[in-house]
Amino acid sequence: MKKVFHVMYDDDDTLLVAARELVAKGIHINEVYSPFPVHGIDPVIGIKRTRLAITSFMYAMTGTSLAILGMWYFMISDWPMNIGGKPSFSMLENIPAFIPVTFEFSVLCGAHGMAITYLLRNGTLPGMPATNPDPRTTDDMFVIEITTDTNSMDEKKLEAAIKKTALFELSIKDVK
Amino acid sequence: MQKESAIREPLILGHKTYKDITDDVIRPITGPAPLGWKIMITISSIIAIYGVAQILYLIGTGIGVWGLNKTVGWAWDITNFVWWVGIGHAGTLISAVLLLFRQKWRMAINRSAEAMTIFAVIMAAVFPGIHMGRIWLAYFVFPLPNQFGSLWVNFNSPLLWDVFAISTYFSVSLVFWYIGLIPDFATIRDRMIKPIPKKIYSILSFGWSGRAKHWNRFEEVSLVLAGIATPLVFSVHSIVSMDFATAIIPGWHTTIFPPYFVSGAVFSGFAMVQTLMLIMRKAFKLESYIHVKHVEYMNIVIIVTGSIVGVAYLTELFISWYSGVEYESYAFINRFSGPYSMAYWTMMTCNVISPQLFWFKKIRRSLVATFILSIVVNIGMWFERYVIIVTSLHRDYLPSSWGEFIPTATDIGIFVGTLGIFSTLFLLFTRYFPVLALNELKTILKSSGESYKNKQDK
Amino acid sequence: MAKTKRYWSGLDELDSTDAFKEIQGQEFPEAQSVDAFISDERHSSSTTGRRDFLKFMGFSITAATLAACETPVIKSIPYVNKPEDITPGVANYYASTYYDGLDYSNILVKTREGRPIFVKGNTATGAGKANARVIGSVMGLYDRARLQGPSSAGDASSWADVDAAMTSAVARGTTVVLSNSIVSPSTSKAIAALGAQHVQYDAVSYSALKEANATAFGVDAVPHYDFSKAEVIVSIAADFLGSWLTTSQHDTDYSALRSPERGTQSQHFQFESAMTLTGTNADIRIMINPSDEGNIAAGILAALKGSSISNLDENTTAKVKAAAKALMAARGKSLVIAGANDLAIQTIVAAINQTLANYGSTIDLDRPSRAQRGDDSAVDQLITDMNTGRVSTLIIYGCNPSYDLADAARFNTGLAKVKTSVCMNGVADETASRSTFIAPDHHYLESWNDLSIRSGRVDIVQPTIEPLYSTRAAQESFLVWSGAGLTDWYTFLRTHYNADYTSAGMYSNADWNSAVHDGFLNEENVVVSTDYTRTIHTTIALSEVESRKGGSFQLSTYVKTAMGTGSHAANPMLQETPDPVSKVTWDNYITMSRVDMESMGLNLYIAQANPASVVRVKSGEITIELPAFMQPGQKPGTVSVALGYGRGANGEFIGKAAYQTGENGDHLVTDNGLPMPIGANAYPLTNQTNYDITIEATGAEYALACTQIHNTYMDRDSVVKETTLDEFLAEKDKAKGEASWNRAHALNVHEDVNKDGVIDSRDKKPTDAFDLWHSHPVEEVGHRWGMTIDLTTCTGCSACVTACHIENNVSVVGKDEVLRHRDMHWIRIDRYYASDYSLEKGAEEGVNVISSYGKMEDASENPQTVHMPMMCQHCNHAPCETVCPVAATTHSNEGLNQMTYNRCIGTRYCANNCPYKVRRFNWFNYKGHDKFQNFNPAADSLTRLVLNPDVTVRARGVMEKCSMCVQRIQEGKLEAKKSGTSVLDGAVLTACAESCPSNAINFGDLNDSGSKVQAISKNNRSYHALEEIGIKPNIFYMTKVRNTESQ
Repeated sequence: MKKVFHVMYDDDDTLLVAARELVAKGIHINEVYSPFPVHGIDPVIGIKRTRLAITSFMYAMTGTSLAILGMWYFMISDWPMNIGGKPSFSMLENIPAFIPVTFEFSVLCGAHGMAITYLLRNGTLPGMPATNPDPRTTDDMFVIEITTDTNSMDEKKLEAAIKKTALFELSIKDVK
Repeated sequence: MQKESAIREPLILGHKTYKDITDDVIRPITGPAPLGWKIMITISSIIAIYGVAQILYLIGTGIGVWGLNKTVGWAWDITNFVWWVGIGHAGTLISAVLLLFRQKWRMAINRSAEAMTIFAVIMAAVFPGIHMGRIWLAYFVFPLPNQFGSLWVNFNSPLLWDVFAISTYFSVSLVFWYIGLIPDFATIRDRMIKPIPKKIYSILSFGWSGRAKHWNRFEEVSLVLAGIATPLVFSVHSIVSMDFATAIIPGWHTTIFPPYFVSGAVFSGFAMVQTLMLIMRKAFKLESYIHVKHVEYMNIVIIVTGSIVGVAYLTELFISWYSGVEYESYAFINRFSGPYSMAYWTMMTCNVISPQLFWFKKIRRSLVATFILSIVVNIGMWFERYVIIVTSLHRDYLPSSWGEFIPTATDIGIFVGTLGIFSTLFLLFTRYFPVLALNELKTILKSSGESYKNKQDK
Repeated sequence: MAKTKRYWSGLDELDSTDAFKEIQGQEFPEAQSVDAFISDERHSSSTTGRRDFLKFMGFSITAATLAACETPVIKSIPYVNKPEDITPGVANYYASTYYDGLDYSNILVKTREGRPIFVKGNTATGAGKANARVIGSVMGLYDRARLQGPSSAGDASSWADVDAAMTSAVARGTTVVLSNSIVSPSTSKAIAALGAQHVQYDAVSYSALKEANATAFGVDAVPHYDFSKAEVIVSIAADFLGSWLTTSQHDTDYSALRSPERGTQSQHFQFESAMTLTGTNADIRIMINPSDEGNIAAGILAALKGSSISNLDENTTAKVKAAAKALMAARGKSLVIAGANDLAIQTIVAAINQTLANYGSTIDLDRPSRAQRGDDSAVDQLITDMNTGRVSTLIIYGCNPSYDLADAARFNTGLAKVKTSVCMNGVADETASRSTFIAPDHHYLESWNDLSIRSGRVDIVQPTIEPLYSTRAAQESFLVWSGAGLTDWYTFLRTHYNADYTSAGMYSNADWNSAVHDGFLNEENVVVSTDYTRTIHTTIALSEVESRKGGSFQLSTYVKTAMGTGSHAANPMLQETPDPVSKVTWDNYITMSRVDMESMGLNLYIAQANPASVVRVKSGEITIELPAFMQPGQKPGTVSVALGYGRGANGEFIGKAAYQTGENGDHLVTDNGLPMPIGANAYPLTNQTNYDITIEATGAEYALACTQIHNTYMDRDSVVKETTLDEFLAEKDKAKGEASWNRAHALNVHEDVNKDGVIDSRDKKPTDAFDLWHSHPVEEVGHRWGMTIDLTTCTGCSACVTACHIENNVSVVGKDEVLRHRDMHWIRIDRYYASDYSLEKGAEEGVNVISSYGKMEDASENPQTVHMPMMCQHCNHAPCETVCPVAATTHSNEGLNQMTYNRCIGTRYCANNCPYKVRRFNWFNYKGHDKFQNFNPAADSLTRLVLNPDVTVRARGVMEKCSMCVQRIQEGKLEAKKSGTSVLDGAVLTACAESCPSNAINFGDLNDSGSKVQAISKNNRSYHALEEIGIKPNIFYMTKVRNTESQ
């Protein structure tokens, strides 16, 4: 049995101000829903920088090595052929011809790997239900979500604190 | 929130609020289809069907239905391929490069520019497919293990590089585009009343709910994708140019090709963006988002790239003379004085002279002039590829096999057909997709929106 | 025990159920009657459920589909008893002989599983090789148009009926046999058995030549000309390499003296108006009017006699003097010939040769030719007799007079008046369709015969396949109709003899068997010594030729290399073989000079979108309309037209390929609904002199399909290399790559190569010193198949083109496709004309480069010509291979550039990247597409039998090209393996090398130190075409040397 406060603001700046006030009071903000990225909110509500970029790099490296390995196997190791007299004896001699494919394949793996990871981590996949508390949050409204269970403060105090901010609308729900 | 100097023209005109932006973008989707749109899609889909029929006829009968011959093995097919790929590049460039350079004005146009990229690349991909004598064996180009044991592909062939380049380019742009679309689909989803469209858009929006964490990841992913896509754009057209540069045919065998092709691609791409954008802003009343300033910015890109292309043409001529190779020098003499000189001079006029007009601010800022010139540029760029491919091939080393190429109705029909398919897809896009990156636009409203800027002045 | 066993009909009975009790008594127990079942109400309401219906439908559709998917059954019947000599997959060769009145050639016929599929020269006789026409003749065997049996008045008939009718016809009234020149002793006997008058004629008549020698030396025959001894040849409009007399030996003998390695080279003067194949090979070619041919001969005679030359312009006079000088210098080793069928000219020429003491050395009348027996006056007499009804029975054998007689019109009216006429041609052609009976003769590949073109040798014709149809040897017909006792032709051939020909009384078994095996039988010569010293009276002749005056325009006729006299009109492969000079396929045309065409405003440039202008030529009563073709080397003021076209003008069914086809491959039809013949018949023109003709443009246009639309080689130095004999001899002994006329291509490098202390433009390295990578080794590793082509000896005769075409199942694609530059030839002969202009000349005259190039596109008025056979060069650094995405074209470790058809996806990138443009793409499904039904051999179930089973017929959408006859290489290697030896030089020959009559093309293993090709490749005349691209071909060309210096 907990209570969920959805505090709605009609402007990103006011949202930012309010968030700062609340956090200053030691209130923990669960989530912020906004129609567009509100710059500066992440540190306030304690969201760390994502590591997706690193995954992308790793995927790309996998692609690179796969490409090089594959081409070495196809052209040098498994079935070397005399194609236009070009050398098929050693990887070193052939490598210039392999650069374009290597690059493309790295990009392919990097981009797709990261995109898939991104969608999985978000849990945004085809057919997923929308979880934003209010349809307006994809238009021009900004919602801060606060729950009692993540806050030591009791709900009266919370409500009071929230009411102090320049909010536009407040909805309180009971959640099992 | 970042500030912007007051001298800069506002990018969003009229006193817009976040809501206005949403409504302006949603309107064409929720509202009834305008008559103009209905007429256009009817025409373009008829052309598209004609094109598909021509393609089926080609595949059913043989490449012989084209005008190609023993001397000229490629003509309209590969010309169209390179032309479409080139057009495609603008989209990625706008969204990727300009994002990296934090160019805010991109936000008004990147969505539809990317859409154009996707559709253009689809059109481009048609030609390498159908130009094959045996398209039903197209899977041979992939290194698949097969019943013959070891029978691999030839990684020394630029054509194989193309396979990887084009497929990578297409799928990556698609992903880039769609990731950007997800939040906007969510916005539409939440505006929809009718159940079925709502359902469709909620599936398309992947259940996006605009959580702060997701936005955080969103921006990171867009940035990284932009970072990857930028070199990709350059690599793709460089590789396309290598189809020619690595060959030994005089007029193809040129080290200048990669930069020359890339700038040419951007050149024609921006021109195509102009063409589409100018129609769209009128059709969907987006004047306040896409206005003279955007047009001017793009025209500046066109001057720059156009001039690069012009320099490349002259360099080619100089080198052909300077090399002292008789075949090389004849190839270029033949270009401007031979049987296909008309094509060459068309190319020169459209690509080198016409964009220089944009030095005049009046022309640069005139929508009508821009519209006309953008079309002129694309005609010129088509001829550039035609000149490179056909005039180099039709007279190469042995005069005994010098020939000529005369297009057939099928050659023309298929090209026109792809134009039809392209515009059909684009029209569908404008009707059912958010034509502006509306949520991204909201982020710049305060920095570059007219009303807010005025506030700052106080 | 009263107890008996009981058997139950079933458990029911045992347990005696109610049901059982109920039916126990009934005789015909019936659980429920059908009527009862049907009448049951409950069933009427029951229906087949949707799901059931779908199940049934699904099943039946699947079943039907699967049933339909059965692969077609191709029945192949095995030999019950394997024939002794036939091993499936192994070819048999039979020696035979080809003779059709025009060409005479000793041949070897290649048969596979009993099918003749290839014809090549039998060099054992030393009488040359097979020319293009002979090689192509094998296709005639499988011609749809061949008659399947005798016919009378157009309806099929039986041999019995025809024989009955003919026997009686021959018995009463005057019978005449009209035939081409008969060189078969036994056939002559068979004809003689009829006791009928025998008239012979040649489509292209040499009657005058024969008569001249008859009056001069009393030998009524065309002499034998020996080009292998002729150091100086002067030909007055005689195309002796293309069609004059029996050419197959001329090529070989002629080119034997062309090779400059022997320190000198024969010299060849050609006086002619049309640009003939022979003219393109001449060292010195002079353009003259047909009316001046006599004056040239007279001029030479005068010059030899030291008297002055009259009525010739001084340029020609100078040339005549030069020719005479050269002739005098080579007295006894020279040859003067004239092509005109004109008694005066031939008399003078005889006199010239007598003066030069050529009779007895290069000209032989002791053993003259037995062909060209045609006698114009006899034919004239016959036609008159026919028209006056004096001929009751006419037997026509081995000729087509209704078409190729000069006076065919009068002949045809006469033929109608003849009571009984029988034609023995294999197809219902112009003559046969006009005759009462057709008694079709065998195809030559089905028949026995003995031929003897000169005394001293008898050549055997032997069948290589059972007759396909119920045809009969003509000779057998003669015997039957003559009512002779012995009617079996083979026995007759074996037992009868003719003392004039064979020394032995008859062919003894030993002789006969060796003759059949070798294809010929030598015998001691009949020694007749002609008196060559008799004085020749030339006064009348001289005054006659002097009196000849030409009008503003003159016309000459010639015979095309591929078409011959027209007997091959239905042969699609020969129709598509480009004319070696004009490079036009599938058509006949009027050749004109540039100046005349310009003045008449006719189209000069002929290409896909540039049709030729049609002109109307009127000579006396005869008018023909044909497209005009600009021919460099054509004497201004003259036009020329080829014989042998316009076959089947009345819609006779002489073969599908003999008629014009449209874009969709259907036959075009004339206004009166007949299939449209190709070209126009020019034979009527040979009945008169055409010194004064009129020519006018009709305004109509007509597309001509050329395989080469650009004529000059644009001053490019690494494609064709040529020099003159003087320059060659000057640097004869220089090392390869040193001589000025074949300098190795070098590139500047930034190092002091010549050690002169400075790095400048003089520091160069040869092309092959440069390499980006260390490439696959080719020298000294296993085989390295290569070819050498000598541009000096290549005459452009096109035998290689046809040989390759038929050996490798190359598709015939028809006129429309050739017009679109899509000819499929794996080997082509590039023909380049010299141009008056060059970059140097432009520089001197201060003309800018662009217009210099423009000027270079035009050939000179009377250009020197180069014939350059061009096929896949099998480059060791092949540009085509590196660009193929699927590795469908790769390099074999024997130096071959291989094409893997079933891996090819048809991107055509390789063809684009081939600097020689020798790759050919299958634009359509040539064997299935309607467009090709009328000419492509693979598209016809009968003609298909000529295809070579060792070579794939390529599918639509794949690339193809010269494979260096890889099937032959493999065969050769297998043979060597079986015999345990290495592959000996010459054991493997490509079709082109094998068929080359002048031995210009050689094939072999470049890594074999003993091989001819390796020796030639080291010769200082040999070079790579386009060597500076550094693609290292395996084909070497040899610099062309011309003996142009004028004494």
